[in-house]
Amino acid sequence: MSQLPVWTVAALQDDLLTATNDLDRLQGLLTHACETLIERFSGAAGHINLLIQDKPPEAVGCVRLSGAIDHLGGAMTALQFQDMASQLIHHTHTRLRHCADQLGVLSFGSEDGDEALIVAAPLRPNPVTQSEMDAGSVELF
Amino acid sequence: MHTILAVDDSASMRQMVSFTLKSAGYTVVEAVDGQDALEKSVSRDFDLVITDQNMPRMDGISLTRKLRESPHFKNTPILILTTESSDEMKQSGRSAGATGWMVKPFDPTKLLEVIKKVTR
Repeated sequence: MSQLPVWTVAALQDDLLTATNDLDRLQGLLTHACETLIERFSGAAGHINLLIQDKPPEAVGCVRLSGAIDHLGGAMTALQFQDMASQLIHHTHTRLRHCADQLGVLSFGSEDGDEALIVAAPLRPNPVTQSEMDAGSVELF
Repeated sequence: MHTILAVDDSASMRQMVSFTLKSAGYTVVEAVDGQDALEKSVSRDFDLVITDQNMPRMDGISLTRKLRESPHFKNTPILILTTESSDEMKQSGRSAGATGWMVKPFDPTKLLEVIKKVTR
């Protein structure tokens, strides 16, 4: 690290911090979008349930509306991408922030107490290993 | 109808679990992490606990262990609903006293089937 010019290290650190700020904004956008979608889906399902209540389940309209409820249930499974994305973003954010802080200390030297300012690297590998949104397994002990 | 304690630090996950359970007629109490769940479990009993694993302050496995220490929760079903799918983690959940392990994302219909089975 000592062979790299200070301005190169500073630029690298700056890039890493910019990336972490972008991840923060992405996290906020995803959360907001997902909360709105859940609210809308829940509202639609509530309206459908009101329409079919007190009617015989075999009525033509009820069968179709029940199908719509099933579609909303499927959407609910897919919407859980936000929880996984959020964990992935948090993990990556922490790792990048750790790299940026380490670069700072390595290149500009450390003073007493600087170590405490370095964001710790994640202790465990990324907890999200899913690569698709199919429903996960269920195991009863 | 049963009362279920739903524990997750993600607000959107709590919303989705609550919506699924309330649509099926269950009463739902939400907690934002294991510590919050533990505090809520002091003042009332629940018929089922559904908890995430990775949460600040107290994770799902630690919550399970703590709840099992209480005579009120000795036989209460506890489901861990998490993104974690490693065998080691599942084994830890089982040793702590969890009733089952569900990997996210959950399918609402499947979740309701499992709840019906474990609360029978």
